[in-house]
Amino acid sequence: MKKKIVAILLSAFTAFSLIACGGADTAAPADQAAAPAAEPAPAPAAEEAAPAAEEAAPAAEEAAPESIGSSVEGELNVTIWDEGQRPGLQQIVDEWSAQSGVKATIQVVDWNNYWTLLEAGATGGELPDVFWMHSNVAQKYMENDLLMDLTDKIASSDKIDLNNYYEGIVNLYKSNGKQYAVPKDIDTIALWYNKTIFDEMGVPYPDDTWTWDDFAANAKKLTNADHWGFAIAPGNNQEGYYNTIYSMGGYVISDDKKTSGMDDPNSIKAVKLFTDMIAEGSCPDLATVSETAPNELLQAGKTAMAINGSWMLAGYRDNEYTSKNCDVAVLPYTKDPSDRVSIYNGLGWAAAANTKNPDAAWSLIEYLGSKEAQLKQAELGVTMSAYKGTSDAWVKSVDCFDLNGHMQMLNAKLVFRPYSRDTTVWEDMMIEKLQDAWTGSKPVEDVCKDIAAEMNAALAEE
Amino acid sequence: MKNKVTSRQKSEFIWGWLFILPTMIGLIVLNIYPMVDTVRQSFYKTGDFGKGNIFVGLKNYEKVLGDTEVWQALWNTIKYAIVEVPLSVVIALLLAVLLNRKLKGRGLFRTILFLPMVVAPAAIAMVWKWLYNSNFGLINNLFHIKVNWISDPNIAIFSIAVIGIWSVIGYNMVLFLAGLQEVPRDYYEAASLDGANWWQQLINITIPLISPTIFFVLVTRIIAALQVFDLIYMMIDLNNPAWKKTESLVFLFYKYSFEQSKKGYGATVIVVLLVLILLITVVQMIGQKKWVHYE
Repeated sequence: MKKKIVAILLSAFTAFSLIACGGADTAAPADQAAAPAAEPAPAPAAEEAAPAAEEAAPAAEEAAPESIGSSVEGELNVTIWDEGQRPGLQQIVDEWSAQSGVKATIQVVDWNNYWTLLEAGATGGELPDVFWMHSNVAQKYMENDLLMDLTDKIASSDKIDLNNYYEGIVNLYKSNGKQYAVPKDIDTIALWYNKTIFDEMGVPYPDDTWTWDDFAANAKKLTNADHWGFAIAPGNNQEGYYNTIYSMGGYVISDDKKTSGMDDPNSIKAVKLFTDMIAEGSCPDLATVSETAPNELLQAGKTAMAINGSWMLAGYRDNEYTSKNCDVAVLPYTKDPSDRVSIYNGLGWAAAANTKNPDAAWSLIEYLGSKEAQLKQAELGVTMSAYKGTSDAWVKSVDCFDLNGHMQMLNAKLVFRPYSRDTTVWEDMMIEKLQDAWTGSKPVEDVCKDIAAEMNAALAEE
Repeated sequence: MKNKVTSRQKSEFIWGWLFILPTMIGLIVLNIYPMVDTVRQSFYKTGDFGKGNIFVGLKNYEKVLGDTEVWQALWNTIKYAIVEVPLSVVIALLLAVLLNRKLKGRGLFRTILFLPMVVAPAAIAMVWKWLYNSNFGLINNLFHIKVNWISDPNIAIFSIAVIGIWSVIGYNMVLFLAGLQEVPRDYYEAASLDGANWWQQLINITIPLISPTIFFVLVTRIIAALQVFDLIYMMIDLNNPAWKKTESLVFLFYKYSFEQSKKGYGATVIVVLLVLILLITVVQMIGQKKWVHYE
C-alpha cells in the first residue's frame, strides 16, 4: 500500500513537473535553439532572408552559444552572425583596438539564434555593445529606442559622411529623422555557373546579353541525367524570385508598405518563370532542393547554375570543387539591359542605447564605417563594402573567380530588399504558400493572389 | 497533545524546509513562475520587447479555435505520439527482458542501446537527415529505392517518429531493467515447474509485476512525445513540402513566440497543449486502476 502511494505521488509529481516544463517552454527553446549551432549553420548567408538550413559552413566548430554577450565596462562586446566574416573583421577590430587601447572581441551567434537572443537581450536590457542590424527588424528596434542615436555623432564626425554610402542602406537605419546605424556592407545577386558543365554540354558561358528567357532555354539545354540546368532556393527570395519580380515590372510591397504586389500580373509571371522550369525538369523539384540546398548542389556539380548573393563568396572560394570549376556572371534582364535588377540589402553597425561604454562603442562604429576600414573589409574579401567606390578592392580579393559579375550588378537597377515593420510574418507565410506553386499542386496565379490577400491583412495589423 | 509542538519537531520542520528550499526556489523561478506568466500572456496581445501589452481577454483563444494551422499541428503532434510511444515502450520492454537474462556481452548491448540517449539531439538529427536524404542518402542508395523520407508530406512525420523511437529506447529500457530487478526469481521458478513457456511468463508474471514502471514510462513518454520539438526543428525547414504536415504544437509555439514575436498568441497555443496533456494524464491516472498492480 505504501509503495502504491509513493508510486502515485511520484508519477503525479513527474507528470506535473513535466507539464510545468511544457508551460515554461518560454525558456526551453532558447537552450534547445542553442543546439543547432552544431549543424552546418547558415553562416555564409550573411544577409539571407529565410536561412536555408543547410549551408555548408565552418560555424560547426563553434561552441553552441548560450547567451548573447552583454555590455561590460571597459571592454567592447561585438556580436555578429556570420562565422565566415569573423576572421577578417577581427583583424579590422584589432587595428582599432591598437589605436584606442580598448579591447574588443567578436562573438558569433548563428542567424536563427541571433535574433532570438538579441530580442531576449533587448527585453532584459542586456544588449551587446556593438552589433549588426538587418532590414527585417531594424524598424522595431529603432522605434523602441534600443539603439544608440548616432545622428549628432555622425554630424560632428570627420570620418563619416552618409553621402558616401549607398542610399537605401542609409535610409533603412533612419527613423523619425534620426540615424541609428552606420552602413557596413552591400550585397548584389549574380548568376553563379559551373564552367565544366557548360563546356560539356556545349553551351556558351552566360554573359550580359542573356535575357531571362535565354536563361530558361539554356537551363533546359544544360539538363541531363546527371545534373540540372538551374536550382532555385525556394526559401530564399533575395536569391531568387524577388529579382525576377522587379526585373519584369512587378513588385512585392508598395512604397508606403501598406499593400502587397504579389497579385500583380508581372509578379505572377516572374514566379512562373521558375515554376515552368521545375515542371520541365530543368530545375529540381521542391523535395530535392529542400533537402539539399542549391549551393550544395552547385558544390557537388549537380547543377549548372545557381543565383547567389555576394556573401556566398567565402563559401565558394574555400570549396575545392567550386573554386576550380565555377565562375560568376551578371543576372539576366527581361526586355532591355536597363531592367536588369539586383535585390540588395546591407547590414548596419549599431550600438545598444544602454551600453556601458558609449564613447568606445561609437569610436568603433566610426572606425568600422570609415573609408580606411571599409576598404580593408573589401580587400580582405570579407564582403563588398557599403562605402561607394571600394568594390574594386573586393573584386581583386580572389583569383579563382571573376567577381566582375557581382560588381557590375552594382550598375544594374538596385532595388532594396522589400521589407516592412514585421517582415518575417509575411515573408514566412509567402515561402510556405509558394510551396504549392513549386510543386504545381495549385496554379501560380491562385497562390500569388492568396499570398497578396494574407499579406495585406498582415500589413494592416502592423 | 495533538497541538503540542516539541522543540525537536520544530527543529525538524525548519531543517526540512531548509533542505528543500534550493529545489523549491529553482522550481518556482524556472518552472512555476514562467508557467503562470505564460498563462497570463495568453490573454494579451503582446507588444515589442515586453512593453505595451494589451489585454484582449479570450480573443487569442477564439483565434486558436478557428486557426486551421493549430488543428493541423495538433493532429501532427498526436500522429507522432501515437507512433512513438507504443513502439518505443514495447521494443524497450522486449529488449529489457532479453538483456535481463544471463547473456554474453550483456553490458556491451546495454551500452550500445543506451548510447543514443547520450548523444545531443542536434547531432542525431544531422546524421539522420543525411541517412534520409532522397538523392544522396544511405538508406535510398542501399536499397535502391527512391523514397522522400523527410519531404513527402504523407510519411515525413513517421520518419521523424522513427528517430524519436530510436533515441528513446535506451532510456525506457533502463527504467524497465530497474523494474525487472525487483521481480522475485521464485515466481519464474514456480512457473517453469508448471510448464509455462517464455511468452506465458512474460505476459503473466513480468508485465503485471512491473506494471507500475510501465505506467510511469507511459505517462512520461506521452508527455514528452506531445512536446516534440527539436527533432522537427532540425529536420524540417520552411521550404520543405512536408512542413505543414510535420509542424508540431511546440514548433508552432516557437514560430509565433520567437520567430514572429507574437508572444501572446504563442502562449495561447502552448496553453492549449498544457490542457491537452493535463487531460490525457488525468485519464491515464484514472485508467491505471484497471491494470496497474502494486504489491
